[in-house]
Amino acid sequence: MNNYEENKIMAHRQHVKYFMRFLNVLPSSLSSHDTTRVTIAYFAVSGLDILGAISTMTLDLRSRIIEWIYRLQVHPNKENGDMSMCGFQGSSTVNIDLQENNHFRCGHLAMTYTGLCILLALGDDLSRVNRKALVEGVKALQTEEGNFAATLSGCESDMRFVYCAACISYMLDDWSGFNIERATDYIIKSIGYDYGIAQCPELESHGGTTFCALATLSLTDQLDKLSEQQVEGLKRWLLFRQVDGFQGRPNKPVDTCYSFWVGASLKILDTLQYTNYGSNRKYVYETQDTVVGGFSKWPDTCTDPMHTYLGLAGLSLIGESGLLEIEPTLNITKRAYNHLKSVHVKWQNE
Amino acid sequence: MSDSGDSDVAWTYYKDRPEWRDVTPVPEDEGPNFVVVIAHSEKFVDVYDYFRAILQNNEKSERALHLTKDAVELNPANYTVWQYRRDILKSLGTDLTSELEYVEAVIKNSPKNYQVWHHRRVLVEWLQDPSLELELTRDALMQDPKNYHAWQHRQWAIKTFGLYDREMDFVDNLITEDVRNNSAWNQRYFVVNNHLGWSDLNVQKEICYALEKIKFIKNNESAWNYLRGVLLHDKRSISGNAVVISFCEELYKNKCRSPYLLAFIIDICDEAIKKGETSCLHNATRAVELCQALAGKYDKIRSKYWNYLCEKFKKSQQEEENNKDTENNITEQI
Repeated sequence: MNNYEENKIMAHRQHVKYFMRFLNVLPSSLSSHDTTRVTIAYFAVSGLDILGAISTMTLDLRSRIIEWIYRLQVHPNKENGDMSMCGFQGSSTVNIDLQENNHFRCGHLAMTYTGLCILLALGDDLSRVNRKALVEGVKALQTEEGNFAATLSGCESDMRFVYCAACISYMLDDWSGFNIERATDYIIKSIGYDYGIAQCPELESHGGTTFCALATLSLTDQLDKLSEQQVEGLKRWLLFRQVDGFQGRPNKPVDTCYSFWVGASLKILDTLQYTNYGSNRKYVYETQDTVVGGFSKWPDTCTDPMHTYLGLAGLSLIGESGLLEIEPTLNITKRAYNHLKSVHVKWQNE
Repeated sequence: MSDSGDSDVAWTYYKDRPEWRDVTPVPEDEGPNFVVVIAHSEKFVDVYDYFRAILQNNEKSERALHLTKDAVELNPANYTVWQYRRDILKSLGTDLTSELEYVEAVIKNSPKNYQVWHHRRVLVEWLQDPSLELELTRDALMQDPKNYHAWQHRQWAIKTFGLYDREMDFVDNLITEDVRNNSAWNQRYFVVNNHLGWSDLNVQKEICYALEKIKFIKNNESAWNYLRGVLLHDKRSISGNAVVISFCEELYKNKCRSPYLLAFIIDICDEAIKKGETSCLHNATRAVELCQALAGKYDKIRSKYWNYLCEKFKKSQQEEENNKDTENNITEQI
């Protein structure tokens, strides 16, 4: 591995190539990602967006990705109009007509969310998204408790999918599938005694789930439901996650991805400026592979698309030059966010 | 995750198995515009072609059950396969004890997989029998004492079936083994909060426990956070508990400058200011000093934060001094 001196420069060209490879063909060792290929495409496309490299993708590649995503959209049941399974699937593993088992062909909130992110980053106008159906699909997944399951076919429900549901509702500019009051209640119940936020009530506070919760409160305009004590406590808990880079929980090792999860949470609370950018930056760069591109969670370990994307997103939050600005709540670039806003205007005028 | 089983010498593809000759495999329909293609092994393709076939035919049989096992072995994250496997189990009325054993083995190989733990939870719900869950999660936590999935499953089982009796001993052991295990501290709070209750006696007991551990290792955020958590249940709050305050001041006097200690004293000052109950030890001037010490020396990485807090306390300090002036004026006038 290179020493820090060589490593502190962004290996921009290598990262572009790295993401391009993941958009192409992956080795069989990644078979366990078979049902979540859309998320890999999201890390790659949104990563290229942060690198300012969308324009270097051929038009053919861009349109192939868009067509592929639309093909994974689950449409309402032709016979009875049922929309509860609508959303995007993560791959074509079971995208066939399953006859009496058709309820297995259903959207997944994380795939719907990341699928929409990809379409926005590629400049699609979302005109082929069945908005009403997607919103009904979101609605079918909210539980009594206020959180969300990822999919209809037998799945856990937790804070991750509250966030995905909020992003989808925000992007579609339609909250009729998302009960804000119940979701807020769930989030507030998941605040721990240390003021961090957990996956569900009473579990250990965690940087990733804290981001999901805070971003949701921000997207639903509910941040004012937190008391002053809760906000100050949260700020303190988040700031204490910085060691050099950031850790996800007290007394756990630092990991590149928390430069985004914790960094974005602090940004939402307008507190990121109280962190030490230099140490954060230095740590993330230590996990960079300057030869073949990519970032890993720890120095000298294997890179992967998720840590590469989140490493770049984390650096973007602290104003790294050569990277596009990120919109922390939706986890897309400001450029893609502005495009979304223009789509919203178009819808409002329809 | 590695693609298991490709080196199996004895493996026979489903397409070559005579007992499967009646089933027509259904290939994946990628469409014309494929991206992010995984170059699956031939075995993977074969198994999933037959999985799609039985799903389409709604076949719920012993051989289909077996096929789902091969499918999840190749990709334990496929939630559709797990759900269909549950449908088959239900339809066949299969003995779920053996399924519990099976999923336990899968958990041992993939302890951080959401789908496996979900499968386990559904089985326990069906059986309404949580008798193996504490042991299962204990084993997973032996491997990784901070495994979030294992803690989540354990809390669920304890809460749903009221299994609190010996949980405090379990937590105690984990904290003794590693006093920095934040997950174990969180579990301690969970047990008191749901089972033992925050009686005055328990609050004092838990405060003593936390102080004991802080005395042992002073720079341990987990223990300090727990202490704050317990004090949420103390009517006197953090600025009114004499035991805690004298403990902190004793540490300070003995030259301890852990950022957690200094931050704690700052919070005592902050609360005293807000309550209008400042003392010679706990007031805005002290808070300003401590913030400056943290920013300049003891917690430099957060210097900007401490400087920001410092500015806030300087305003309170100004007010304190104005009040003093007013008091003096009044005294003089009298």
